[in-house]
Amino acid sequence: MTRGPREEGRVARQRYGLKGRWLALAALSGLLLASGMQARYDSTVDYFGDRNVFVSLPSGKTLKILSFGYRNLAADLLFIWSIQFYSTYHIANRFDFLERVYEAITDITPQYREPYIIGSLIMVHEAKDVPMALRLLEKGSRHNPAEWLFDHDAGFYSYKYLKDFPRAERYYNRAAAKPGAPEFIRRIKAHMVYLSDDPQTAARMYLDIYRNARSTLERDSAFNHLYQIKAEADLPQLKAKIAEYRQNFGRLPRALSELARAGLVREVPRDFAGNEYVYDPQTGTVTAQRIFRWKKR
Amino acid sequence: MKASIRGIAVNTFKESARNKMFYLLVFFGILFALSSKLVSFLTLGDTMKVLKDTGLAAINFFCVLIAVFTGINLVYKEIEKKTVFNILSKPVSRDDFIIGKFLGLALTMLTALGSMAVIFFAFVALSGGGLDLKIALYFFMLFLELLVIIAISLLFSAFTTPILSFIFTVSLYLIGQVMWTYNEFKDLLAISAWRTATRVLYYLLPNLDKFNIKNEVVTGAAIAPLSVLFASLYAAAYVLALLAITILIFRRREFQ
Repeated sequence: MTRGPREEGRVARQRYGLKGRWLALAALSGLLLASGMQARYDSTVDYFGDRNVFVSLPSGKTLKILSFGYRNLAADLLFIWSIQFYSTYHIANRFDFLERVYEAITDITPQYREPYIIGSLIMVHEAKDVPMALRLLEKGSRHNPAEWLFDHDAGFYSYKYLKDFPRAERYYNRAAAKPGAPEFIRRIKAHMVYLSDDPQTAARMYLDIYRNARSTLERDSAFNHLYQIKAEADLPQLKAKIAEYRQNFGRLPRALSELARAGLVREVPRDFAGNEYVYDPQTGTVTAQRIFRWKKR
Repeated sequence: MKASIRGIAVNTFKESARNKMFYLLVFFGILFALSSKLVSFLTLGDTMKVLKDTGLAAINFFCVLIAVFTGINLVYKEIEKKTVFNILSKPVSRDDFIIGKFLGLALTMLTALGSMAVIFFAFVALSGGGLDLKIALYFFMLFLELLVIIAISLLFSAFTTPILSFIFTVSLYLIGQVMWTYNEFKDLLAISAWRTATRVLYYLLPNLDKFNIKNEVVTGAAIAPLSVLFASLYAAAYVLALLAITILIFRRREFQ
């Protein structure tokens, strides 16, 4: 005959009596005590405090060994963790090991592109450490010689944040030489040369781009830069000659052609489009027809 | 192929295929491979790389588990259940028995890996990764690695208990994955006798890292055809050597 649950409970109570209840009570008390202790322990430990952010991070080589053939997975997991970690803004000292973390990831899988790009972004925009980002990108470029993106990013950071135009030019130069590099890198490279106070070389580079342009955008962009460089070279000269004319003749010239007639210039320069510069005989000011967006710095 | 070897191989395959653990591990292998999609959501940039990394790692891990768990019991169970007497009383030599067991297990692994591979191929294609033929090359290399692992587990299964076989096989698997580190520290050894000893070990122990082309597959890096050829020849030679040792041990084995 089978017993019902109630009957079974009665039999169990008879068999174990108080002993079973004490055991249940002991189990419950133990659990409650353990929970209480855990809560007390938590109140003494600052999990996100300085001390506990990093207990230790093995080197990339050690992680490579410890991943036992699953190094890509190890690098992925560390990279995903780093994204979450560096997005946790309340951890004040989260950047203490930033370089070490990305060194480790890129040591495990040097061909993994994203950690170089995202890591350098975090270094520049969050940690505000551009040299650190450049070191990471240079490592990426070393390990991936066919990839232009690392040199491009390094060039941009050098230009934008360090204002180190010759250095930016070197990076863009390297990026432009790589296979598959987009055409705009040549233009940026020329712009870096221009910003490095070498307009003559920049003009030669832009002229080369202008003559060999494969798209309207490329040609127009090169044209605009050439227009600006020429105007920046011509206008100060013209202004100086106008001042000289005024000194010699006691008045401003009525037109720019008078400068040539007076023998101050052999020929009145024209802008890159072949048009005359705009001259105001009332004020003696001379300007270019076009308005530029580019700034010297 | 000899009929006796074929018979043992087919029976081994059927026996493995009847094992519930086999299906369970294949199921979890596929499940983990497909769940790589979830992991890929957490990353920035190239999600397909993370999807492939995680999926291939899951398939690799579960295939190794299948190879180890099936391999370590293969011979031991026959001896323990005394079925080996029945088999060897028929016109089946001990050599044929070992070779048949190995081939049966290789067929089992091919089935497990094949089913996971087909599903993963379709999964990558549906996730926008297209038909990546490099993954097929990866599965081929993984199969070679699995052949070495089952040969190792078969060797231990021929003379020791499943628990010890498991420990030895897994240890050799882990050592095999980090054999490349030998080249990192060989110059650090000052005593020439140590250098010689480690050099001998380097060539004796399985070097499984050469089968690992996950990185090349997911990053699109070039795979040297010669390295694939050498890895294939290495697997063939190593399996041959292990099978020979297993047969030698099994020939001398006394059954009670």
